[in-house]
Amino acid sequence: MVDRLSVVGKRFPRTDAIAKAKGEAAFVPDIQLPGMLHAKTLRSPYPHAKIVKIDTQKAEALPGVMAVLTFKNVPKVHPRNKMEFLLNETVRYCGDEVAMVAAETREIAEEALAFIDVEYEVLPAVFDAEDAMQPEAPLLYPELESNIIRKSPGCDPQGWIGLTIGDIDKGFAEAEYIVEGVYETPIQATVSPMPRATVCQWSGNKLTCWADTMVPMAIWHDIARCLDIPQSDVRLIVPNPVGSYGRKEPEKTPILTAILAKRTGRPVKTAFTREEDFLISWRRVNFKAYSKAGLKKDGTVTTLSHKVIANCGADAQSPLLVMATSLAKSFAILYRAEHVKSEGCGVFTNTTHHGAVLGFGDSEGNFCMERLMDEAAETVGMDPVEFRMKNCVRYGDACYDRLQLILGKDPRRGIVGPDIDMPQVIIKAADSAGWREKWHGWTTPVEIRGSTRRGIGFAMGMHHCFYKEFSAEVKMNHDGTASVLTGSVDHGQGCYTIIAQVVAETLGLRYEDVNVSSPDSPSMPAGFGNAGSSGTSSAVNAAKYAADDARRKLLEIAAQALGCNPDELDIQERKIFLRSNPVRCITIAQACQKGLQVTGLGLLPSPDSLRDEKSGELLNALAIAAVVAEVEVDTDTGELTIIKLSSANDCGRAINPTMTENQIDLGIVLGNGWIRSESFIIDKSTGVLLNPNLLDYKVMTHLDIPEKENTSVTIVENPTTWGPYGAKGFSETAMVAVAPAIANAIYNAIGVRMRGTQVTPDAILEALGK
Amino acid sequence: MSDKLASIALNVNGKRHEVEVRPHDSLADILREKLGLTGTKIICNEGHCGACTVLIDGVPVLSCLTLAIECEGKEILTIEGLCDPQTGELHPIQQAFVDHSGMQCGSCTPGMILAAKALLDENPHPTAEDVREALAGNICRCGNYNSITRSVLAAAEIIAGRTHNG
Repeated sequence: MVDRLSVVGKRFPRTDAIAKAKGEAAFVPDIQLPGMLHAKTLRSPYPHAKIVKIDTQKAEALPGVMAVLTFKNVPKVHPRNKMEFLLNETVRYCGDEVAMVAAETREIAEEALAFIDVEYEVLPAVFDAEDAMQPEAPLLYPELESNIIRKSPGCDPQGWIGLTIGDIDKGFAEAEYIVEGVYETPIQATVSPMPRATVCQWSGNKLTCWADTMVPMAIWHDIARCLDIPQSDVRLIVPNPVGSYGRKEPEKTPILTAILAKRTGRPVKTAFTREEDFLISWRRVNFKAYSKAGLKKDGTVTTLSHKVIANCGADAQSPLLVMATSLAKSFAILYRAEHVKSEGCGVFTNTTHHGAVLGFGDSEGNFCMERLMDEAAETVGMDPVEFRMKNCVRYGDACYDRLQLILGKDPRRGIVGPDIDMPQVIIKAADSAGWREKWHGWTTPVEIRGSTRRGIGFAMGMHHCFYKEFSAEVKMNHDGTASVLTGSVDHGQGCYTIIAQVVAETLGLRYEDVNVSSPDSPSMPAGFGNAGSSGTSSAVNAAKYAADDARRKLLEIAAQALGCNPDELDIQERKIFLRSNPVRCITIAQACQKGLQVTGLGLLPSPDSLRDEKSGELLNALAIAAVVAEVEVDTDTGELTIIKLSSANDCGRAINPTMTENQIDLGIVLGNGWIRSESFIIDKSTGVLLNPNLLDYKVMTHLDIPEKENTSVTIVENPTTWGPYGAKGFSETAMVAVAPAIANAIYNAIGVRMRGTQVTPDAILEALGK
Repeated sequence: MSDKLASIALNVNGKRHEVEVRPHDSLADILREKLGLTGTKIICNEGHCGACTVLIDGVPVLSCLTLAIECEGKEILTIEGLCDPQTGELHPIQQAFVDHSGMQCGSCTPGMILAAKALLDENPHPTAEDVREALAGNICRCGNYNSITRSVLAAAEIIAGRTHNG
């Protein structure tokens, strides 16, 4: 079947391309309902304070103001995964929510905020994670008796979670070389293009909520739970989510907006400004890693130890998960060291909340790991590519699971599957970059011209591509077309395009015969949503199972009609026919009509059913990438130019190579921006975010990114045994090796290690002692 | 801010609209909320990102920073006015964005396409460098820049072909 694919592997335009090109794709901020009110939020000017008094009477008296919410009049419930309540008596970062106003217009709502009298008792604040760990540090949650997050069974009494393989003391004692360093990673704002928005409307006791999210089921459940109403009374519609990059996990705004709508009896829209979106943006966690490697003279990495401190901000969606991701993958699986100890702790500080961002944990962990490994390769005098070839992960290696780590259980879980061929990915990246011709040895840059030095650097990386709870429905229509229902979203990554291609291929339809509907909770099949690069591995996979089920049913109907067995039939080009005599056929449309309602249900088998055919061991859903960066540094100005970026990514199978390339471009651009230009500047004395706008927070533009001719993207296709047509998620993995490759290239250019957070011109000049 | 309403006529996509505006209303808000033309997207609402780009008398402007009241008597082109009004056929730039995957999430796309139109109207044969320069003020967070450049160059070829043929 795989040999004669007619839809899978083709470069179809994305399903929503025309709507987007015409401006017809409506996003949540575009929704307007008759009689709709607008909500605005009052935010704390202090990084840490107790609200001693709050008086909303004057605001409520303002003509046009319909409702005001404060911690006093909203239910005391915790939004999903949060320490905080919906609104709180204590504010914990500059910009934290104090009150919400619903009014006839945005302007009135905005004006009303100034009429809310708040008396704060300003509390001492702490912004740096290591400062926050000190015994005398002000506590964000005094009831926890520490700022170190200790809420999981896997944490030791001090709050550290850790993974141990072998015996690192023995490993370091026997090591012939030891390399160590302290590596830091920067904060990154997700900057989802459209600031987040929600619209809520009640009809009697039934709520309709339009939300911009990447995990519809979770947000649907959370709204019902927090409002204490049945899920069946909540209709969640997710129209056209815009780029999430990890950001669009459940949050409290839809719940607060629903409360405002209930109290006013009117539809309410909450649409954040760009500045607010920065403040509530669930920025990337920042790591500080104390890392050490033990090596043999021949370049074998024998021992690895990492102690990581993660600044999680004032509250965190999943502080221990992000940490555990890196502990279990970048630090433990990527290299085949005999002795490993990776430990980490998450710390609350009075800064904006941490949340998921592209490459969740592995972008951060790998940025530390691959800079350390570059130093290790230099110490043993090996070519960095050969060093990785010698030490990289391989099929059959042991895997470790972050969830088990957090739960305090044995973290060992199965093996790296046969789809992981890291040496191949390394070679593809190196060859496309011309590594052999350009690498002149450790102390030799590629080229020196006046003050300009050119260097080349390498990094590899790994990230998960979730295979987890998902279902889908393929509903056949009487004209033979198919409607797919899914709990996944297409926020730009092309998930619906991939679903349409996979379903069309499976059902013998054309690409244009398949329509994928965005989630509307009454008709939405259960599914985890789009996080952890789950789209292809899980959502598309579930759709494939649903299409298989629909296909089976169609073949049974056709077999009855044609008087044969279903296994004698094939399905292609909108027809079901006898393989031995293709003229004996019925159309898919006829089969759909005969069946009255043919619906395929796809339920993804348990992750525990994924087994290696050879060993019977559990398989893990992982994706890998390698990147070579060639850069130029002007040592007078610190200016960094990317000369060439060569990225090789294994996606199992490129269902649509254009979508694959687009997502690799995203990883390259976000990886560049993260360390080169996107400085998230929090004032160290006041805790105020100084640059919450797109002028001062510099995301990459057309002029900053490596141009097409300077980017080489190699798609590697080692099919999985468990993915749809062998495919798997890879989008986040496309980012994880970008930053360290650039930092390592800078070292090759200027001979100074960049161990800090960013490689901005300032940081480079500082590194050069200028 | 004054809430005094002024009645003005806006020429949008070749149609005249009588609309009441307040002095401080931005063109973006009026297009989106009064005329229902939500194809004009707002990403920053402070002139930093280019998403709300529309053409006024052929010139690309940031509609979030433009007062609606100042636009009376001018020809405003939004993304909704780009298709062929008779056939509904996509404009070559739109078609090229579809064919060359010039968008991912699509929130910057209308502004990007209109900025590209302004470029191609002035410079029908741009180089890749010209495209990057012209679109430098339009941010794409999906990092889709290389596909966008490819789309605009492809559009230039389609338009040149049409002009050449007839």
